[in-house]
Amino acid sequence: MQPGDPWGFEEDVAETWGDLLSTQAVDLGVLAAFLLLAYVSFHRKSVRLKYVTLLAAVAYMGFAKSYLISITNIFSVLEGNLPVFKYNLAWYLFFGFTVVSTVLWGRFYCGRVCAYGAFTQLMDAILPAAWRVDVPKALEARAGWIKFFLLAAVLAYFFVTKDTMVYRFVEPFWMFGLSETSLLLWGGIGVLLAATVFVRNLYCRFLCPVGATLGLMSYLTVFKIKRWSECTTCKICEKTCEWGAIEGPNILVTECVRCDDCERVYADEAKCPHWRILDYKKRKGGMIPLTPVRG
Amino acid sequence: MVKWTRTCSVVAGLLVALAAVAAAADRIFTNPKPDGHLRALFPKAAAFSALSATPMHFKAYAADPKVTPNPPLLGYAFWTTDLVPNEFGYHGPIHVLVGMDLTGVITGAIVDYDSEPYGYFSMQPPEFGAQFTGKSVRAGFKVGADVHAVSRATISISSATRAIRDSARAMAKAFLNPADVKP
Repeated sequence: MQPGDPWGFEEDVAETWGDLLSTQAVDLGVLAAFLLLAYVSFHRKSVRLKYVTLLAAVAYMGFAKSYLISITNIFSVLEGNLPVFKYNLAWYLFFGFTVVSTVLWGRFYCGRVCAYGAFTQLMDAILPAAWRVDVPKALEARAGWIKFFLLAAVLAYFFVTKDTMVYRFVEPFWMFGLSETSLLLWGGIGVLLAATVFVRNLYCRFLCPVGATLGLMSYLTVFKIKRWSECTTCKICEKTCEWGAIEGPNILVTECVRCDDCERVYADEAKCPHWRILDYKKRKGGMIPLTPVRG
Repeated sequence: MVKWTRTCSVVAGLLVALAAVAAAADRIFTNPKPDGHLRALFPKAAAFSALSATPMHFKAYAADPKVTPNPPLLGYAFWTTDLVPNEFGYHGPIHVLVGMDLTGVITGAIVDYDSEPYGYFSMQPPEFGAQFTGKSVRAGFKVGADVHAVSRATISISSATRAIRDSARAMAKAFLNPADVKP
């Protein structure tokens, strides 16, 4: 209690950063550990660590905390309606990481931090590949546009009506909250997940307004995926990409989620023609024994 | 080529959306006629003053001042958004009407408007506001201790709780005698 203050309310004593940090330390620590794991799995291009990251994303970021970037966060940013910083340090770390990682690498968030994206990628890893339908390239390119139109439509709807609850109809992220009671909406999730069994990462690639926003921000990408001169003719990476993000020599930044699949191929000196040709030139006249890309 | 048409159309879409912002600006979400809420907070009150004074509040009277001059005062009702306008939840301020009697006991807290995405299972159910009824302004107001925590909706619950605590304390400081307020 301060002298002369008959009330002595706790919040009148200035909150120190020590107080604020100590009450939020667990959340901050677990979140920081998860984000570090996501970064290390990406930096090392490790398949095993990526799957560990995806499992952690579903369990912790999804079911435990419901830390997912939502269209409502985009409403909030555009309106300046953000949570109070000092009481929500973990949320700001998460939000800041998403923005910074997008500027540095592109849709890194979509590829391994988003709990829903992690969920559908795990579905894809577990379900038999024979069930999957490969969307024709032309259709895939057109379907990729839907998310941008959906983003524009939802923003327009929100700014006219100010109804934040519209998020329930355009994104499935609330499924991790487990508190929705509308059978219609759960039915919608059921249909979406059933369709995802056959078309991998359907929502992320074609429908997600948050993915569309991060995709637009990805034009700023600082550390781009390297391309060789051989990429103009070689199709190995394009065929490897599960996100339809490679068109000939170009990486479509709006679609690429930095999954590492193409980067693992072109770092592989036994598979990538770039290294095969260098090797061939070194040993002039020798054969180029190419190995199959997929076993 | 495809890349640029894609970017341009999306930017155009965003501009349309931003134009709508300007059109929908300055909407006020504080309920201008919270009569039903006021009666719920002070069922014994015969009349309420208009929302006025600094800090802004309603006065609850035991008798109608038009009939009985200077009727006994039962307590105060106030909007959290008037008292602590900088308290933001996940998406903007949560509008709670709080009632408090002259001994600093909260008579009720009613969430009137919010735009919290996870509000429907955290602070919109009446059970949330009901927890504050009978709580002294000197209580802890700690989520997870004397206020129920709701997992996956921490930001909304914590913000609404801070809004109620801080607005009630500001009102107590302005209008109550500390000696009358028991812990």
